[in-house]
Amino acid sequence: MHSSVSATAPVRPPRPARTPPAPRAPLERDRECLVSGVCAGLARHLGAPAGTLRALFVVLSALGGFGVLLYVWCWMLMPWQSGTATPSRHAPVAWLLTAASGIPLLIVVTDGGWAWRYYYLPGSTPVAVAALPAVLVLATAAGVWAGLVDRADPTRGPRHALIVRALTVAVLLVVFATMSLRAMPALFLLLPLAGIAAVLSTSLIRRWRELSGERIRRIREEQRSEMAAHLHDSVLQTLALIQNRAGASSEAARLARAQERELRAWLYDGDSPADSDLPTDLRDYAAALELDYPVRIDVVSAGLSTERASGEAAAAAREAMLNAARHAGGDVSVYIEGSASGVDVFIRDRGDGFVMDDMPVDRLGVRESIIGRMRRAGGTATVRSDANGTEVHLRIGRGMDAPAPANDAATAGAVDA
Amino acid sequence: MPEPIRLVIVDDHSIFRSGLRADLDAVEVVGEAADVLSAITVIRESEPDVVLLDVHLPGGEGDDATGGAAVIRGCAGVPTRFLALSVSDAAEDVVRVIRAGARGYITKGSSGAEVSRAVRVVAGGDAVFSPRLAGFVLDAFGAVEGETATATDELDRLSAREQEVMRLIARGYAYKEVAAELFISIKTVETHVSAVLRKLQLSSRHELTAWASQRRLL
Repeated sequence: MHSSVSATAPVRPPRPARTPPAPRAPLERDRECLVSGVCAGLARHLGAPAGTLRALFVVLSALGGFGVLLYVWCWMLMPWQSGTATPSRHAPVAWLLTAASGIPLLIVVTDGGWAWRYYYLPGSTPVAVAALPAVLVLATAAGVWAGLVDRADPTRGPRHALIVRALTVAVLLVVFATMSLRAMPALFLLLPLAGIAAVLSTSLIRRWRELSGERIRRIREEQRSEMAAHLHDSVLQTLALIQNRAGASSEAARLARAQERELRAWLYDGDSPADSDLPTDLRDYAAALELDYPVRIDVVSAGLSTERASGEAAAAAREAMLNAARHAGGDVSVYIEGSASGVDVFIRDRGDGFVMDDMPVDRLGVRESIIGRMRRAGGTATVRSDANGTEVHLRIGRGMDAPAPANDAATAGAVDA
Repeated sequence: MPEPIRLVIVDDHSIFRSGLRADLDAVEVVGEAADVLSAITVIRESEPDVVLLDVHLPGGEGDDATGGAAVIRGCAGVPTRFLALSVSDAAEDVVRVIRAGARGYITKGSSGAEVSRAVRVVAGGDAVFSPRLAGFVLDAFGAVEGETATATDELDRLSAREQEVMRLIARGYAYKEVAAELFISIKTVETHVSAVLRKLQLSSRHELTAWASQRRLL
């Protein structure tokens, strides 16, 4: 019996090799949160359900307010998740606080804050005692929250903040009126007034924040332009001179030109976001090509620049620029013209030119990457090449309409796909 | 060999001036200046054919950051032509000197041969347009949106021919190539370019002024 038991007893599986624990998620608050993102952030960091943590905070709050302190401490020290979006809160905190202040307000209005009539009246019920401080704290908190937190919230906005603040000021005024009618001590009369002042001061705080932010921005801008002026006078001039003296296609000139471009972009483009429209993209690509090939690419654009950099026209234009840089070198001109009817891109080089029919069939560069690509995208590509250079003309119509024939596609020597 | 063109170089960097002086051919440099006041004095004294003028010069009045336009204004009445040299090809700098009266502009990265050629063109009374300036002109005069002048004396729009010339220059064509492309003579191309330059200087076109005032140029 005994032996049979031991025989059927499951063999203990070998202990799995200890794997290092997965790295914890960083301790940070979601930008899209319920109230402050503390519990959700802690939950993610600790791997515990957020509901449990919320319950834990409530329980701890009952223990002498320890939970509240811990919550506030976390709130102050936990950073927001990286990003630029303004934090947005799901819970209508300001409304909840305003609504919660309604009940003690009723009590205060009906009994006139009787419990506090002579600072403290023995024998009052705890509810009557708590009502006055409760209404003051809740209404003030609601107003301040609306003014400071909800106003910046994109899902609530200034109108919501205005309504809540008006409501809370009204509540506090009612409390003040009730108290003054019952001839409360003057010291107590100051409390609702202080609450109103706190609610109203949020606009001032906001204004002050805006002002100081504006000032910091201005100082940064000034510093940048001072630096730009200085660098302009020294470094940019030197770089220009190097290019001038070294000859257009020399290594030194290429490096100087790339440096100049980089420096200028940093100095003058400022903080404006780099949008990925076609001219910007081709300019960046030209800068990259200049580093790799002995070439000077001048990108000029006119008209609207709504064509996306990710489009087929951009890809074909990049291919044509690469061809020009690789096979022709020297000066290359790129001209982008965006009109209401479509986008034209011209890429011109000064190389020896080539004849399309002489190109081996397996060379995909021009035939596939430029002409084929444009045709599939519903546009046209015209390659014109002679002893003075090559010009590639790409045209793509806007929207779904058929591409209009290019106005100069039928010139002499044109090799059309 | 024709008589060399008499040239004054105005640039606040002596190293740049000497570099340029060594590179230029078929021109005689009769003077140099480094700031607005000395430039005006030198130009008034020597009355050169062409002044190579840096757009950014110290000594401009007020908060006028670029002194180039101030030099041109200060030399009113002197029979000389200005060619703007700019280290930046930012349109605002260039258009400011062009509207003040310069006959064209080139970037400082241009080689000595290019500068010499541009000086000769300007000395001949014609205008020097870079591809970038041509692109800006097309933009500012609404040519991209299809606006075309109907009368020859209209200042606010380009004629169809002027648009064609500007487009080819923006595409990197030299005057000679523009002429061959359009089956016209080089002289006609130069006439068109000069006409565009005049429009650029005299036009009160909304985009030009709005664009300029937006950048506090006027």
